Amino acid sequence: MTQTQNDTHWITEGLTVESALEHVYAKNGFHQEFVISKDSLRELAQRFRSREYFLECLSVVDYPDHFECCYQFNRWDKIHRVLVKVRNPDKTHPHFPTLSDIYEGANWYEREGYDFFGVIFDNHPHLTRLLLPETAKIHPMRKDFKGDSGTDVEDVLALIEYEDHQYEKVSQELKNKYQKDYFINMGPQHPSTHGVLRLLLHLDGERVLETYPVIGYSHRDHERMAEYKNYLQFTPNMGRMDYVGAMSFNFGYIGLIEKALGMAPSPRAEYIRVFSTELNRIASHLLWLGTYLLDLGAMTPFFYCFDDRENILDMLEMLTGERLTYNFFRFGGVAYDVPEGLGDQLKAFIPKMRGRLKDYKILIEKNIIFMKRTKEIGVLTKDQALSYGVTGPMLRACGIAYDIRKAEPYSIYPEMNFEIPTFPGCDTFARYQVRLAEIEQSLRIAEQAFAKMPEGPIKGEKAPKVSPKVPAGEFYFAVESARGHYGEYLVANGSANPYRLKQRTPSYANLSSLSSMLSGHLVADVVAVLGSTDVVMPEIDR
Amino acid sequence: MNELFRIILSLVIVIGFVLINSLVLVWLERKVSARIQLRRGPLYVGWFGLLQTFADALKMLGKELIFPKNCDKVLYFLAPILSFAPVLGAFLVIPFGQHLVIQDLNIGLLLVFAFSGLSFIGIFMAGWASNNKYSLLGGMRSVAQNISYEIPLLLSSLNIVMMAKSFRLSDIVRAQAHVPFILLQPLAFIIFITSALAESNRTPFDIPEAESELVAGFHTEYSGLRFGIFFISEYTYVFISSCVATALFLGGSHGPFLSGWAWFLMKAYFVVFVVMWVRWTLPRLRSDQLITFAWKVLIPLSLFNIICTALALQLLKQ
Repeated sequence: MTQTQNDTHWITEGLTVESALEHVYAKNGFHQEFVISKDSLRELAQRFRSREYFLECLSVVDYPDHFECCYQFNRWDKIHRVLVKVRNPDKTHPHFPTLSDIYEGANWYEREGYDFFGVIFDNHPHLTRLLLPETAKIHPMRKDFKGDSGTDVEDVLALIEYEDHQYEKVSQELKNKYQKDYFINMGPQHPSTHGVLRLLLHLDGERVLETYPVIGYSHRDHERMAEYKNYLQFTPNMGRMDYVGAMSFNFGYIGLIEKALGMAPSPRAEYIRVFSTELNRIASHLLWLGTYLLDLGAMTPFFYCFDDRENILDMLEMLTGERLTYNFFRFGGVAYDVPEGLGDQLKAFIPKMRGRLKDYKILIEKNIIFMKRTKEIGVLTKDQALSYGVTGPMLRACGIAYDIRKAEPYSIYPEMNFEIPTFPGCDTFARYQVRLAEIEQSLRIAEQAFAKMPEGPIKGEKAPKVSPKVPAGEFYFAVESARGHYGEYLVANGSANPYRLKQRTPSYANLSSLSSMLSGHLVADVVAVLGSTDVVMPEIDR
Repeated sequence: MNELFRIILSLVIVIGFVLINSLVLVWLERKVSARIQLRRGPLYVGWFGLLQTFADALKMLGKELIFPKNCDKVLYFLAPILSFAPVLGAFLVIPFGQHLVIQDLNIGLLLVFAFSGLSFIGIFMAGWASNNKYSLLGGMRSVAQNISYEIPLLLSSLNIVMMAKSFRLSDIVRAQAHVPFILLQPLAFIIFITSALAESNRTPFDIPEAESELVAGFHTEYSGLRFGIFFISEYTYVFISSCVATALFLGGSHGPFLSGWAWFLMKAYFVVFVVMWVRWTLPRLRSDQLITFAWKVLIPLSLFNIICTALALQLLKQ
């Protein structure tokens, strides 16, 4: 989707621009790129904000002679991805201006930058560690950090020391400060936080005053792993990030490398990819539906959803040999061809699932308790969604039809006949409606992709036999995962492994909006709203 | 002396019955939920897994009894006992058969409510003494809930008292010799069952122990047999509510062919089954919605029902 950039002079008008580039979108995923000075950044961000661009991603890159913050701005209605770079040659404590008051979503990205690179964002309201513990002394994504030698080793080992006295001190301070209201730790061991998420709730009785999500309990630093491994070795990591919808993450990474290499997979592989991804999306939504109702106190739907999901897992196991953490996609194709019998199972499954969907709708939407628990709970307005960079079903529940499969189509999605379901409710019920409608649409796509699948090889002619070397450059590729916009920003330097691979994961931005949805609600709603965001923690913690 | 001996002996029998009964009820609950949830439930220990709950109870006996750090030891120790003991008293007046009642008091119905109303004190003590915020929230919710639902529970059974003109449960059963009161008082029955569900902390009213919000609510910190006692007392409350519902609305021990106690137990177990069915079908209400429902829906409805009943009785009299 190319577009003329004639009308974009407003972006940099009157600002100090160090360099500007027009990119070819089809080649690397960007439309325009600007390198600007530190002082103009906030003014620029305000311009983007007022024109309804959302902050897609912020990646910090450690270059030999400077630190670079790469801000990506994009639009919902008409794709226009602008890469804005700000450089600082200070290699010890580089300072950058904060955007967290313009884009609330920048808050976490900046904390992550501080955490991983030691980059300081001036005037940030709460610049503390995000993914590593508060007591950490290391900045693990810096190029001069070597975890296996020198003082780094001691600093790494210090991470696992439990510092009791620090927590005692903090809790005593809080006790003195707040007499009537109190704090409660929901998680990391809690039945409804869906993994190891910790919510620090500031409560007055049962009413929530403030929510502080504390993340990083399953942090493994996949981004650092990517820099150590070559391109092929990194593929299994994708299934470990979003273990519920691993196929989309496979798609994202493999698609990125293919884009960077400028090659296309074989036609048959494209269809296999699409129908397996859509099946995986249904499985993910079913898992969400079951656990969400479990959060609301109804245990039985969980078993029905898992019964349906089991059918999908069986099919995907036939196809890939794995049931959950798929590593199925290869550069230029897929690992295996469609086995015999899969088609019959799929043909039996699709009508069965449609029947089940009707049952679910009747049983759930006719239930007055469910409606009372979800309607007008956890409202996220369109403007807040923009500010936090929320994507996926949560955004579509605000009535905005932003779906990468339509907005910047990849693979064979343009050939598929499907719709983007949107609902205007902005609340948890609308999120439920979107996800249920998406199951139906995914069934349609899977059905079409399987029916249209051509004969042929499952790998392209130019598919690399060994790990490829990606030519130097910057690339961005996004796919629609079950939770939203999953993108990857790759800085390649022509060697066998990435120089920097930033993962823009959907739940990360979605979860950061949690506290704004929760204030004033009750403890019981915390669970309902958190469940409606459909977070997968390893994807957030990476 | 003879009378005292009889009561003590009956109480021993009641305790034995309650323990066995709750184990059977747990088994039943697991089987019913399994049937509803496309599972098979316990299968291997004993005939149809009947001994599974006995095995679980034995396992629970062997668990360590933990006192959490900084808890109030006396209250913590007393709480499960206080939540379980009153329910035994309620069995005193339940007419299982025509003559199968331990003490046929003329204020039997009031006694049942008096005893069952005590239970939440134990629950609140448990929540308070555990020194855990989740438990405390659970305890607080339990108090609010019990106070709210006691009223519609009493009001709905008042209709029956008006019709039977007695608080004595055996009189009430006798008054239903021809027509069970459920046919005359369907609204009162629905209100009664709803309130009884809330009183016994069952889904959709299980907010004091809402496991997806409060981990396990008031019994989060309890382990081993103390947890077991809470568990047993919950099932016993369900059973006692079903017994009262049977006596008040379903005609108690009346029924053709079989003897009275068999009919009574069958009806009571059927009510228990309905309670389980509801639990595995519905999600949970939020605490404020729960209280609103009691004060704005159930209480006005039951007051309205009482007025209608009174008017009807007066008109029929003339």
